[in-house]
Amino acid sequence: MTERELKGLKDLPTPSPRIGAKQAALRAALDAYDRTAEETSGQLPQGFPSRTRRTHTTSNFPRRRMMKFSRSTYATAASIAVLAIAAPAAFVYLDHTDPRQVLADRQPVGSVLDMFSSGGNPDGRQGGEASMTSDMQPALSGANRRTSAVPLSPSTTTKDKIASKTGTGSRTVSRSRDSDLRFAGVSEEKAALPPPPPSQEIIGQGALAKMDDGLRREQPRSGAMALGAYNGDQDNQGSPVSGFTAAPQVANNQINGIISHNIPQDLIAQPPANRDRFDGAAPNPVKQVAIEPVSTFSVDVDTSSYSFIRRSLNAGQIPPKDAVRVEELINYFTYDYPRPETAAEPFKPTVTVLPSPWNQDRQLVHIGLKGYELANRERPRANLVFLIDVSGSMASNDKLPLLKQGLLMLLDKLRPNDTVGIVTYASGSGVALEPTKLSDKARIQSAIEQLGAGGSTAGAQGIQDAYRLVEQAFDKDAVNRVILGTDGDFNVGITDQGQLKNFIEEKRKTGIFLSVLGFGQGNYNDALMQALAQNGNGTAAYIDTLSEVRKVLIEEASSTLFPIAKDVKIQIEFNPAVVSEYRLVGYETRALRREDFNNDKIDAGDVGSGHAVTAIYEITLVGAEMKTVDGLRYQPNTNLGSVGQKKPAEPAPTPAPTRTKTDRPDELAFLKLRYKLPTEDASKLLTMPVLTSQALDGATSAPQDVRFAIAVATFGQLLRGDEWIGRYGRYDYDNIITLANAAKGDDPFGLRAQFVELVRLAKALSAKR
Amino acid sequence: MRPVGAENRLALAAAAGDRAALASLLDAYYEPVHRMAWRWCGSADRAEDIAQDVCVKIAGGIRAFKGEAAFATWVWRITYNAALDHLRRASRLRPTPENEIMALIDTEAPSRETPESNAIDGDLWREVHALPPQQRDAVLLVYAEDMSHAEAATVMGITEKTVSWHLHTARKTLRNRLEAAE
Repeated sequence: MTERELKGLKDLPTPSPRIGAKQAALRAALDAYDRTAEETSGQLPQGFPSRTRRTHTTSNFPRRRMMKFSRSTYATAASIAVLAIAAPAAFVYLDHTDPRQVLADRQPVGSVLDMFSSGGNPDGRQGGEASMTSDMQPALSGANRRTSAVPLSPSTTTKDKIASKTGTGSRTVSRSRDSDLRFAGVSEEKAALPPPPPSQEIIGQGALAKMDDGLRREQPRSGAMALGAYNGDQDNQGSPVSGFTAAPQVANNQINGIISHNIPQDLIAQPPANRDRFDGAAPNPVKQVAIEPVSTFSVDVDTSSYSFIRRSLNAGQIPPKDAVRVEELINYFTYDYPRPETAAEPFKPTVTVLPSPWNQDRQLVHIGLKGYELANRERPRANLVFLIDVSGSMASNDKLPLLKQGLLMLLDKLRPNDTVGIVTYASGSGVALEPTKLSDKARIQSAIEQLGAGGSTAGAQGIQDAYRLVEQAFDKDAVNRVILGTDGDFNVGITDQGQLKNFIEEKRKTGIFLSVLGFGQGNYNDALMQALAQNGNGTAAYIDTLSEVRKVLIEEASSTLFPIAKDVKIQIEFNPAVVSEYRLVGYETRALRREDFNNDKIDAGDVGSGHAVTAIYEITLVGAEMKTVDGLRYQPNTNLGSVGQKKPAEPAPTPAPTRTKTDRPDELAFLKLRYKLPTEDASKLLTMPVLTSQALDGATSAPQDVRFAIAVATFGQLLRGDEWIGRYGRYDYDNIITLANAAKGDDPFGLRAQFVELVRLAKALSAKR
Repeated sequence: MRPVGAENRLALAAAAGDRAALASLLDAYYEPVHRMAWRWCGSADRAEDIAQDVCVKIAGGIRAFKGEAAFATWVWRITYNAALDHLRRASRLRPTPENEIMALIDTEAPSRETPESNAIDGDLWREVHALPPQQRDAVLLVYAEDMSHAEAATVMGITEKTVSWHLHTARKTLRNRLEAAE
């Protein structure tokens, strides 16, 4: 193909935009501009917007704070300094708010002229007129005249010039200033017009990237560009003009994620495993009780990290560290902690204190939380609609056939009064089964069996159909839920992810929840599935084997489908007279601020019927040797110099008398739990002290479930390469195998045995490296 | 078209809070942005969405504009990235296999004018869109958007050499396909 032919591309007819669309766009833009004015006149936002729970960055979808973000997105866009870690989160927010913005702005408008003359910023306008120079004036008036959509003045025909071959438009002029372009482009020349402070060195793309980072840092970039931007920025980190401060490691993570779906494979070689997206957080640090005695976090009952690392190990690969979320590994397993008596008090916490298996100088505080298990007759009616991906890729044995088997098994767990509906989607969507009572089980069974037989009809309304069916059979006292089963094809009828999330969230507010079941490998999109499920108050589970189907759909059906409490937060205060240091194992992305605990507006994890949640702290007792952090000389009770001498069980002699009152040497910590019942908006509080007398002498005397949870926690930390495990002892995979084997118990479905196999696999794989 | 100096001055005025200057710039740039968006996504409706995104982004970020680079280049770059974002979103978060691009476009809501409306040019468009993304982008920027290699490099965030290389490879691929078709 010749140059000449390619040049024909330029002359391809292009459609003109509708005038209405243009007006809407300009109005939206000017609104955004006005908003940035408001925001920049106030305090400049710095860093990650506060008051939000830290979650996985890609799954951090706003729920109740959405409106707030629709504003601050623009604020940050206009100003400065957002940590690179906020980038994907902000992307999501932008995504989220955009469609609304579009809708809001699609209102009919007068003319372009009206738009900016009637706008809300008279001061700005006046200033603008005053500042206009003679050569800008005609340009502006030209623009005004063009409200008639006909270019009248040569000064306004940007587009025509650009399209023309001789092109004296902006681009041509730009080219005549090639040196400028080169600096902005690829060479390493310094900026021709360096911004203040003048000493600053801006390298190549950094300059330009910085500029549009202001706008686009919310958005994943194509990888090369992102690298350019980050590289450029690292040179002026922390300076007032740098668009943001890049945290290189985080940036790399993001870039990896972005590369996976944005960059042509011919330029960047990458292992296929990286197609799956994860975002990581650094392990929790060791904290000093004297300085930060309170630890607060949200519960997490997601388990998909475990399924993922299992798949990864089975495929012969040590999973990427960021994919290992220790708390999800621990919570994957069912633990038989003591149960609460009634649904009125939905939790029962059980605390065990035992010596750390991997460090003789440390203790572990194991907190097991068992949710009340609704008896079958107590649980509400279920109104379920399955939205099932029947596209070609679902045909393989580990996908649709597995799902069908699971659904058939699930029917046995449901009651005659429950209803089930099925919607399928592929290239089109169709209702495979109208909501049908379980009393007509045969009909449901046959509908399930026929799935995948190409029964889908035309229409791309998959998700709308599913929600419509749920609404048809809606019962405010029932559990109304859509369950999406897919291998990563989210072509469910709403293509825009932001809109999809909005849609799901809107429906959640009306009482219809969403759960996501992920199947297969390759295109599996952990981030999106988690995000959708979170927006829909549901869980995301990854399913790769029949036993996993059974676990998710059958064993945990009631806990997955029937929430008993929402926004569950845990706060633990350590007693500085007894404990000098602590570290929370896992839950990095679930950390809350201390004050968030009592704030009912702060969102947290939900717990389903019969769910068990486990959290483990590693603590150093006062007087223990080998402290991680040195105490403070000038603060009381930071225990400097107590090395080697066990503190007596009586108040420290030096501090003020008031202290003795609160010392309570018999208490190790105080555990507080906040939760809301599913239908209530005010939280309830549950408290219990952890007594020093509860501490066990040896790990072996701890309950079996506690020991197994600890084995899993150790495995997660070792896989993640946490320094805490290998630092003091030579704790390795063999120790974990021993520990887990001794705590397998009944293990009716072989899950714990499977875990031991995984540890063996990890050991072999890490030895190979 | 006003000279780049005047344009950058307008942009700087907008950066300093001049609403009218911004409106004037957006008004002048909307059509070129829309056209560029259309060249990537092949749908007038979607191009309108992209153009609106771009306008909002310009408005949101103009206050950070310091005049270090040509305003126009900045706009093309935003447009380019917005177009890629849309393509990516449309491809459901997967790298879009080349053969699916057309399918994607075919499922669009009826657009008033598609590249297919002109048989020969439609073929050319189709061929170009069947190229790997970066080759496609380089070809569109240089041939359709009439940019220099350096400018295309800036917009794409890659080196000039890489742009030339992409163009070279693209021409070769297109030639081979053409010969194979004959």
